[in-house]
Amino acid sequence: MEFTVSKSDLVRELSLSQGVVEKRTTIPILSNVLLEAVGERLVLTATDLELGIRSSCPAQVVKEGAGTIPARRLLDYVRLLPDADLTVKFQENQWAGLICGRSRTRIAGMSRESFPELPTMPEPLAELPVALLSSMISQTIFAISAEESRFTLNGALMALKPDSVMLVATDGHRMAMVEKQQEVSGITNPYRALLPKKAMSEIVKLAQESHPGAVLRFAGDENHLFFQFGDRLLISRKLTGNFPDFERVLPKEHASHITIKRDELRASIERVSQFADERSRAIRLQVAPGEIRVYSSLSETGESEESLSVTYDGPEVEIGFNAQYLVDFCRAVPEEDVRFYFKDGHCAGELRPGADATYTYRYVVMPMRI
Amino acid sequence: MKIIFHVDMDAFFVSVEELFDPSLIGKPVVVGGRPDQRGVVSAASYAARKFGVHSALPLRTAYKLCPQAIFLDGHPERYREYSHKVHGVLQRFSPVVEMASIDEAYLDLTGTERLLGPPLKAAHRLHEEMKRETGLNCSIGIARSRMVAKVSSDQAKPNGVLWILPGQEARFLAPLDVRRIPGVGKVTEKNLHALGIRKVGDLARLDEASLESRFGKWGLALAGKALGEDAGGWFDSEIGAEEDPKSISHEHTFDQDTADAARLDATLARLAEKVGRRLREHGLYSRTVQVKLRYSDFSTITRAHTLDHATGIDIELIEHARALFLKNWNGKPVRLVGVHAGSLEAAEGQMNLLESERQERWRKALEAVDKIRDRFGESSVSLASGMKGDYAERVHENPEGLPGKAPRGH
Repeated sequence: MEFTVSKSDLVRELSLSQGVVEKRTTIPILSNVLLEAVGERLVLTATDLELGIRSSCPAQVVKEGAGTIPARRLLDYVRLLPDADLTVKFQENQWAGLICGRSRTRIAGMSRESFPELPTMPEPLAELPVALLSSMISQTIFAISAEESRFTLNGALMALKPDSVMLVATDGHRMAMVEKQQEVSGITNPYRALLPKKAMSEIVKLAQESHPGAVLRFAGDENHLFFQFGDRLLISRKLTGNFPDFERVLPKEHASHITIKRDELRASIERVSQFADERSRAIRLQVAPGEIRVYSSLSETGESEESLSVTYDGPEVEIGFNAQYLVDFCRAVPEEDVRFYFKDGHCAGELRPGADATYTYRYVVMPMRI
Repeated sequence: MKIIFHVDMDAFFVSVEELFDPSLIGKPVVVGGRPDQRGVVSAASYAARKFGVHSALPLRTAYKLCPQAIFLDGHPERYREYSHKVHGVLQRFSPVVEMASIDEAYLDLTGTERLLGPPLKAAHRLHEEMKRETGLNCSIGIARSRMVAKVSSDQAKPNGVLWILPGQEARFLAPLDVRRIPGVGKVTEKNLHALGIRKVGDLARLDEASLESRFGKWGLALAGKALGEDAGGWFDSEIGAEEDPKSISHEHTFDQDTADAARLDATLARLAEKVGRRLREHGLYSRTVQVKLRYSDFSTITRAHTLDHATGIDIELIEHARALFLKNWNGKPVRLVGVHAGSLEAAEGQMNLLESERQERWRKALEAVDKIRDRFGESSVSLASGMKGDYAERVHENPEGLPGKAPRGH
């Protein structure tokens, strides 16, 4: 195999594979990127068996063929080259020779024979605006569980309907649910799948590389989900298992609510939580007529309190929360006003965007017993 | 001036057994298990002690020393029940009572003279009431420090009272072996002997600086102890000052090594249940569950899992212990299993969104179960999964050679 590509094209496509290739793998070839020179293109494939990405860039192909090279090493090296054309030539012994201007390098590769075969994308089920899916992911991904043993919570539930898209994520302590009205072409029956967290982060990255009005094509087979962004294809294994019955968890109604400026709330919590236990991150919210107080104390370190004025004339309520959970929402919600719904220190509280939001975004957080 | 009582029950387990079976009185009795069983002596009667049998001795060794002894499995329930009775009597003498273990307690009687009379009179009354209420004898050491009270109760055994008058502490301690000092174990004793220090008096003659240079902080504590002061570790705290434990654990050694997965699982469940019970007794919640496995060849592994929330619920401890076990057991016969709860917190912290109803049901059920256990004993209620894993529980009096019974948390 021999081909020539522009350095910048190769760096851009290789960067996309970095989130996918395994850093510490027991299967060495999974650290490699598969390079295939076909027709007038170079096709790059990387996978960790859970997630795979295939992309391509224009290339002058002298001799078609395929080979694999350690992805990280290749990128780290190519990135340092001057902006020019780079010629890659694979030898019989699986070493790849790289020539760029006056630089000559040989990198040990591995035969493509042992590189896993990625599934082929079936007929697309739907088309979705890239920006929409990406923004919905940013509004839910933080609520996904980091606890590996709870594998059905290691991703988000994606539900497609003819006229809406919904994502739900929970770690068992809080739940983020976002639903946007959107005509989903191709969907006639409701479709549900569990989307792994790693695939979600890659979708956000791919979206950043797409143009603003881009549309992605989505497909699914029994075990996989496919997201095609133009020439780039992301393939993810589905998470199996039953996602919790999230509708049962969403509070039907709340006793009270107040409206707060998102940035003021976030800044107060961030300051006060400097005096929260590092592990539990526990702070207290005290809602009283006319104000909400954010309070935290550590017996041997110090204490801190802030007061925000709000419109409220109900009974005084004190609720303990993990500060990080509240900050996560403030970072994810684009609206400047947020609404805080609550009852007491034992019931789930809820944050939503302020009144001007035109979509459904609900963030349910269980309190802490302090 | 402080007046501290150290009340130590005489041959507690054996004495309780004698209450239920008077034919044992005066005979060599060993509590802890059958002579051919694995495990160690929990307690020995005075008659058995004459043959060199003492607690913490392997049962088989005890049998060799005293084959004619009567070996009993013991009745932990009864000991606990009597320990409660003892506590009840002690509470009449002072509001500040700290049970240092199942059969001994420290009482602060400072300022009770007008109520109870001088110390010796109070001690006499305590003896009488203890005998009347529980049928048991105890020995009482009186001093102005807990350290000296403890040493003097030992010197007063059996069924005696010894009051070390203020100012006489050093003179009382001087002729005793250094080993008599609570906290001095085999290692420190050996190190002290190497320096030619055999008696507490030898120790008292050394200056603090040289002890500190040789033993560090522990040396300073030793210097204090030699003069009869409360110093070092637990003795630095006040009686009844509740120190929360750092961790809570239970272990079980099988009579015969087992690779029976169901039995191991049941034993783990039972151990986790006991850990849960003690967590709730202390009002604590654990964030780290650890499982310990010791195989036939004594190779031992411990594997821990950190939870995303703190728990005091048996079933959650069991689930995590079970998962750790299944992931790490190599299928070979196991000699010992243990369940350990660490990263203890005083509040439950983060509540669960998806399982809050289940947790609430368990919380209420366990509250009821704990009340039943308080009244009818530990084995009155247990989870079905742990029933097969039930085993003869072993409780220990202060084993000889392990001085300074720490109250808990060690």
